[in-house]
Amino acid sequence: MTAIIANCETFVLFPLGKKRFALPAGQVSELARPDQQQTFPHTTPLLTGVVLRRNQIVPVADIAPVLVGPDAPARKFYLIVNRKPKAKGSRTAIPVTGECELANAEQLSVTGKLPAYVCGLLSLHDEIVEILDLERLMSAEVRA
Amino acid sequence: MRISPTRQRNGSSPRAKETVIVFSVGGNTFALAASAIDEVREIEGLQGFESRISKVRHTLSRQGRQYFVVDSARHFRLTNANPGRLMILRKLPVALIVDAIDRMQEIHSIQALPDGFIGEERQWYRGLTLLSGKVVPVVHPEAFLSKAEITLLSAALRAKDSTRAMAVTA
Repeated sequence: MTAIIANCETFVLFPLGKKRFALPAGQVSELARPDQQQTFPHTTPLLTGVVLRRNQIVPVADIAPVLVGPDAPARKFYLIVNRKPKAKGSRTAIPVTGECELANAEQLSVTGKLPAYVCGLLSLHDEIVEILDLERLMSAEVRA
Repeated sequence: MRISPTRQRNGSSPRAKETVIVFSVGGNTFALAASAIDEVREIEGLQGFESRISKVRHTLSRQGRQYFVVDSARHFRLTNANPGRLMILRKLPVALIVDAIDRMQEIHSIQALPDGFIGEERQWYRGLTLLSGKVVPVVHPEAFLSKAEITLLSAALRAKDSTRAMAVTA
């Protein structure tokens, strides 16, 4: 029993349409209501603009079209994520389509043919949730 | 309109202000240090110039100097531009075609461009500033034309001038 608990980590589950994904809870700093997004010219893929959070300018990375396709429902919240926790200026806002959930679960190894940005799986009651490696996901889009 | 260099006051506070010119291109707002700009004028007196750099299609002669005229809309990959003003830079042989000059303003801080931005904007912008709650990129004056591009354009201009001189002589 102790061994099973020791292997559990905490994840934030977030919905993009009908599918849920997970990020390690240590990367997530807050769930925010959508602020008005602002844009300016740039050439970075996936970034759709910026939002102001606590006087800081945070880029918005809309990953939904990559993960679930172009017909993802309207985004209702921003998940504010520290992509590199020790680095300043590394916060990113991820638009999500609904409320998020904390879950303690054991991370399982990736099986089958999954994209490189899926770094693990969670087996929850009636679903398998993919754990995302945000750095790899965004780097893959840059290379594409 | 000539832009005077900003004078530093003796004993100024540690949090120095910077004066910027706020301008627009293709519906987007930008800021550029006022100290980097020599003059703002109407778009006139441009000479056609064929170059390999698509954002440079004209030159401007002014006070014995030649300037390469950069189409800012092309530089920032923007459409729907409505060219209306020319900004002549102070320390570079560059003049910028922009849509309009909005105002001159003092800013107190420039935030670094967040790490998530990894494209050409990292060369374009010094950082981002907030003007009345609006996020405005502060542009690098050197970003419009690199040293290599200026060298290339200067060589092309000299070649064009010498070809013209030979044609006149012949």
